Amino acid sequence: MRDQKDKSPVSRRDFLSTVGVAAGAGIAAASGTAAYFAGPRPASAAPKVKGNIKDTPYKTGHITFLTGPANLLGEPGRKGHLLAAEEINAEGGLLGKRKIETIVADESAGTDANVKELRRMKLSEKIDLFTGVISSGNTPALGPVAEELGVLTLFNDGCTDFLFDKAVPNPKYVFRVTNIQSADGITSAIGAARAWPHAKKVASIQPDYSYGRNVHEHFMLAYKAMVPGAESVAEAWPKLFSTDFTPHITKLLSAGPDLLICGLWGGDYVAFYKQALRYGLFDKMKVATTLAFGGQPHAIGKDHPEGVLAGVHANYFFLHPGNKRWPINDSFVQRYYKRWNEYPSFESDGAYTALYLLKSAIERANHLVGGWPDDEAIISQLEGLGIDSPAGYVYIRPDNHQGYKDSAIGMTKNVPDYQFPVWDPKSVITISIRDITAPPNWPKPGQGHEESTAAANWLKTTWINNKA
Amino acid sequence: MDILAVQFLNSIFYASILFLIAAGLSLIYGVMRIVNLAHGAFYALGAYVTAWTIGHAVASVHFSILFLLLPVGAVAVAAVGALIEPLLLRPLYGRPEEYLLLVTFGLLLILEDAMHFLFGGMPLTAGAIMDSLGSFPVLGLRYPVYNVLVIAIGAVAAALLWAFVYRTRFGVMLRATSQDRRMASALGLDVRRVYVQAFALGCFIAGLGGAIVVPSQAAVLGMGIDALILAFVVVVIGGLGSLEGALIGALLVSFVRTAGIQFFPEIELAVLYLIAAAVLLVRPTGMFGKA
Repeated sequence: MRDQKDKSPVSRRDFLSTVGVAAGAGIAAASGTAAYFAGPRPASAAPKVKGNIKDTPYKTGHITFLTGPANLLGEPGRKGHLLAAEEINAEGGLLGKRKIETIVADESAGTDANVKELRRMKLSEKIDLFTGVISSGNTPALGPVAEELGVLTLFNDGCTDFLFDKAVPNPKYVFRVTNIQSADGITSAIGAARAWPHAKKVASIQPDYSYGRNVHEHFMLAYKAMVPGAESVAEAWPKLFSTDFTPHITKLLSAGPDLLICGLWGGDYVAFYKQALRYGLFDKMKVATTLAFGGQPHAIGKDHPEGVLAGVHANYFFLHPGNKRWPINDSFVQRYYKRWNEYPSFESDGAYTALYLLKSAIERANHLVGGWPDDEAIISQLEGLGIDSPAGYVYIRPDNHQGYKDSAIGMTKNVPDYQFPVWDPKSVITISIRDITAPPNWPKPGQGHEESTAAANWLKTTWINNKA
Repeated sequence: MDILAVQFLNSIFYASILFLIAAGLSLIYGVMRIVNLAHGAFYALGAYVTAWTIGHAVASVHFSILFLLLPVGAVAVAAVGALIEPLLLRPLYGRPEEYLLLVTFGLLLILEDAMHFLFGGMPLTAGAIMDSLGSFPVLGLRYPVYNVLVIAIGAVAAALLWAFVYRTRFGVMLRATSQDRRMASALGLDVRRVYVQAFALGCFIAGLGGAIVVPSQAAVLGMGIDALILAFVVVVIGGLGSLEGALIGALLVSFVRTAGIQFFPEIELAVLYLIAAAVLLVRPTGMFGKA
């Protein structure tokens, strides 16, 4: 794949990114709007479509958790996708002509079934775009198949570093919109180190699969670099989708930690906090999480303790940026609430933004080549594309097709306006994503180091040395 | 020491729940020779119905009434079971066992989706019951009083079930049907009725497990599948079709699991499956199973 690309004297990326600069300026001049953003726009702001576009539907396949405990994440993802599709279709569709049609399948069917479903979607449903996918266990299996089938793919989660570090090291068709996974642990570590700089004894409870391992490793690496003398005193590894956490909670209590880092998510986190509450865990230690606010916001009850560092997978919480500081988010939350009668989660933002990234890339490519752009042209515009999303500015890095946006985390608080705990606005911190992720072209695992991720190697070689 | 005391209580608590699920599974297999893959969904349904009922009642009734509402989930599941057996399973009794495996697996998926449709994707909770009882100190740690109640219910259910099967007239009919269906039928037993009753009873116990566990956790989608897998380990160890086996198996699995979590988390699950494999090698029908 990479070899083929490199055969041409001028690589596709170089050529098109040069043209892209001019094209962007051209669109801005033609339409009077400089920036692309995720959301409906007035008809007057739409760029002029070049050439004839057939009005055949644009078919997308969306795999997400429709059932099981992970439905708390899958449902808002599906709703974000559908809202974006409805808005784009209300403008006439992509380039004003091609209406988005979506086929949905259940990710709970398991990795093998997901792979078969992707093949079926491409070969018999003839999808133009594949999107969705929540689990980090699934993207590394689906990514290579999407490359093999040549189907344009925008994962909205499944954010393991492994996908672009190892499984698909030179992606062509595969992109991912939400932040890279190592940012989860590092974001929580920064939030915890800032809130509780003297918490040295750290315990960890993580779901026993790749996500939990990733959170544990990157949290500990970053936290130890910031809090001298910090050490791990206990680890609990409940099976993913467990319901009884009482032995794990007792074990954590027995170690007497100052701080607990918790990477449980979905229904697992709900069952965990309810049991931990009754065992007095929250009174005995500070708690930092990566995904406490990862599901639909109202999945967490008012019985949830205040002052817990509530992660959102390093991505998005619907009240942030809030207070009219980011109108794109304010109007997104309003539209989402109007459509679904609930508030969006980071999965909603990811799936929603994915379709608007696609739309921007298609419009740019149309401006360059005229007519309906082929996948090559769309991909060339997605690489390096940045748009304003509800969560803030999101940028698709060309070297690894990974989306990056500044991460945020805050403390839980109960306020009268909501039936569920939200972030205490005074506690929210935003972290520049460039400060917590390995820079472009940092050696991947196997390229001179054997760390689990490029980010782990970057942390070890830059953070700790810098501190010493 | 305090840790071991609490972990001991945790183990018996979990064993109570596992026993209720596995006992229903075993009872249904013992009488009807059906490996009921939908059993986990019955457990989850019990949890959802109870959580839903209590969630709607909590604002309007005194908390002592809430305790009386706990078994609602079990009764509802028994009713569902009494409908499913004659409508869905009975037509297939003449066919090879694989048909029933497929049907109960399909039923598992259908019930999961039905619960999603009826109760939504949000976790349902009945925590008010648990919080009304508070917790007591165990040598420096805290333990919820409600969990002790669950342990008690599990123990009483085990005793009642045993008395029911071995000390009542209906128990004699159950055991006769399980030993030789044709002979029981020839002697004038209404085997059809025994089947409905056995299936509903098995469902009731599973529903009861879900109903009493939900105040301490939450009813979440997929909870039945997690429970079903461990319940199968229990019956493989104890012997499918045996109540004593379900009890011993539940205690063994629960204690080994807790010890695994506390002392050797890397191989906690592997140890459970190793025990199951070892039992299968030495006694292929399980510790208390009959060939």
